[in-house]
Amino acid sequence: MRNRRDFVKALAAATAGGFVAQRGFAWAQGGPAPKRREVFIGRKRIKVIDSHAHLNIAEVANVVKGTPFERQATTTGDGIIGPARIAWMDRDGVDVAMLTQQGAFWYAVQDRGLARDIVKAQNEGTAAVVAKYPDRFIGMASMPLQFPDLAAEALEDGVKRLGFKGAGISAGWAGAKNLTDPEYDVFWSKAQELGTFLFMHPGGTNGNGDPHYGGRGALPNTIGNPLETTIFFSRLIYEGTLDKFPGLKICGAHGGGYLPSYMGRTDAQCRRQDDVCTGKKRPVEEYFKTQLMADIMVFREEGLRHLVAEMGTGQLVYGTDMPFGWPVTPDFILNAKFLNDGQKEQILGGNLIKLLKLAPATTA
Amino acid sequence: MQNRREFVKSIAAAAAGVGIAGRFAYDVLAQAGQPAAGGRRQISIAGKRIKVIDAHAHLSIRAVADVVKGTPFERNGNGAPNQIIGPDRIKAMDALGIDMAVLTQQGAWWYGVTDRDLARSIVKTMNEGTAAVVKQYPDRFVGMAAFPIQFPDLAAEALEDGVKRLGLKGGGISAGFLPDKEFSAPEFDVFWAKAQELGTLLFMHPGGDTGAEAHLRGKGNLGNTVGNPLETTIFLSHLIYDGTLDKFPGVKICCAHAGGYLPSYMGRTDGACVRQPDACSSKKRPVDEYFKTQIMADSMIFRDDGLRHMVSEMGIGQIVYGTDMPFPWPVNPDTILNNRLLNNAEKEAILGGNLIKLLKLTSASTN
Repeated sequence: MRNRRDFVKALAAATAGGFVAQRGFAWAQGGPAPKRREVFIGRKRIKVIDSHAHLNIAEVANVVKGTPFERQATTTGDGIIGPARIAWMDRDGVDVAMLTQQGAFWYAVQDRGLARDIVKAQNEGTAAVVAKYPDRFIGMASMPLQFPDLAAEALEDGVKRLGFKGAGISAGWAGAKNLTDPEYDVFWSKAQELGTFLFMHPGGTNGNGDPHYGGRGALPNTIGNPLETTIFFSRLIYEGTLDKFPGLKICGAHGGGYLPSYMGRTDAQCRRQDDVCTGKKRPVEEYFKTQLMADIMVFREEGLRHLVAEMGTGQLVYGTDMPFGWPVTPDFILNAKFLNDGQKEQILGGNLIKLLKLAPATTA
Repeated sequence: MQNRREFVKSIAAAAAGVGIAGRFAYDVLAQAGQPAAGGRRQISIAGKRIKVIDAHAHLSIRAVADVVKGTPFERNGNGAPNQIIGPDRIKAMDALGIDMAVLTQQGAWWYGVTDRDLARSIVKTMNEGTAAVVKQYPDRFVGMAAFPIQFPDLAAEALEDGVKRLGLKGGGISAGFLPDKEFSAPEFDVFWAKAQELGTLLFMHPGGDTGAEAHLRGKGNLGNTVGNPLETTIFLSHLIYDGTLDKFPGVKICCAHAGGYLPSYMGRTDGACVRQPDACSSKKRPVDEYFKTQIMADSMIFRDDGLRHMVSEMGIGQIVYGTDMPFPWPVNPDTILNNRLLNNAEKEAILGGNLIKLLKLTSASTN
């Protein structure tokens, strides 16, 4: 899996000191832990929440041992939450991170029992991380989306038993199945019933095997990731899933893919060929102003301005993709000239505090 | 052919007065009304008549059918009636207020021709046919050369022939890649070098090759809706990351459908280099510099703030009005004229000023 390969490569670089040195982590090389950065807007200390952070649960290795998925479990490295992650968050000024599983390997598991066990281990492991650092992390349930009924079950279990604030959709589809297929109604209706926030992250299945993504630029990630989210959102819109389940709220990683930045074509296609739009009930922007959200990982101030103009500040949340080394500290928001202080606070944490009913106070 | 079927169907729908306005935003789509019936619309901005030039219009040449007769491409040679330029196209342009259109071939099927002579003959017929259209309507059309890019040397030859012998104003790249090749591969240097030497504008249009993915099936025509901008995104990403644009700084390429996703979402192209520097060993400049100099885009973004975003990222001189005629996108000039986020000078630049300057056209319209 491409994402995993990238991840492994980054880890290898980190071990060699290259990756960490580049990010200036003196502490990772034996230096003192950084002081915790406290982010203020004006004189107000604000709680910075990272909606887009990943973890791995080492215990999963025991579950997949002796199965074809044995090599998929990650037991070491910076996906395992511990002091290094806390130090990274402290350095950047991230108070709280929402944790979704890294990768989507378990979507390929054909055995229901094994799929359930993997996800249970992931979710209980995540709950343990949150119990250990209750003021620094929010847990998100993982689900075996290849089995819609088990996905609904895992979601409910995660929210009700384990106290999660939402769940992570770890890929835009499950193998050949599209998440807009009718068999997924059982899952979407459960998410709507529970009122849970869903965070969608691409699984890295685009571009693999397509020769046109070869060469420089890491295109299976650079293009493949936003593309997967673009297809996922397009299907939810055109197939009528969001209209059928108006209570759904889904945040798309990496600026929500291409669609929030390029949404006009979604409606225009209906003008060009209206018979392909029989399932879509509303203008495209209405989905993005209500049910679809995005993280702010567009890396350009003008790109962020465009997202705000199209979606509204209330739909955008800070995200970093930790432990991957994207250039997205809170300063991207704090320095955005076009945002007022209220908007900055919303994006950096306020929106999620409201949506997930979190405590606005920080512990630092 | 899918495109033709769509066109015929939507014309039928328009004729039947199918109302679908409820599903659109109150943005540029709502402003893009039906053209006035009869007569040639003349567009003015603040009292000044301006020449409206459509950078993105397609044609087919009927004589190509004779060239491919008896070959495996026989069925590709029959251009749809609405792609054959004649009074109907002029009438459609008149109704919208389009004074001049830049014509590129519809489709990219001839990229699959493996016989050099056949490929050369097809493209020669296309280009001579296009030149004949321009000669018949010299004040309404500008032609762009087709070329068989599967043979880079022949492509360079066809581009030069089109520009020097036939008076075409540039070339049309009709797909983002060949099935097994990227245009950033060294074998295409001969083509890029020729384009740079001639100083011609290239107009790139996706060939529709990225829509085969299983997850693009279903509603929304995703093979086109997502596939087209995706193809252009891959095309431009290779030219940027593989260093082609740095190697040939004189190359200027205008990309259809708002240049795909990249002009609207360019930050990740640089962001990836921070995350994984070894993937960026050939890219020399920050991503926006390519879009501010060598890469242009048409205006087919369909939203006021989408266009404003492109202007902010690329600069006003890099964006040109486009319609994709004969396909019925909601893109009449009112979508530019009514854009509340652009000033008059910007509107004039997009609607025609930029191309007048770039292609050294006369700024006067014929009526």
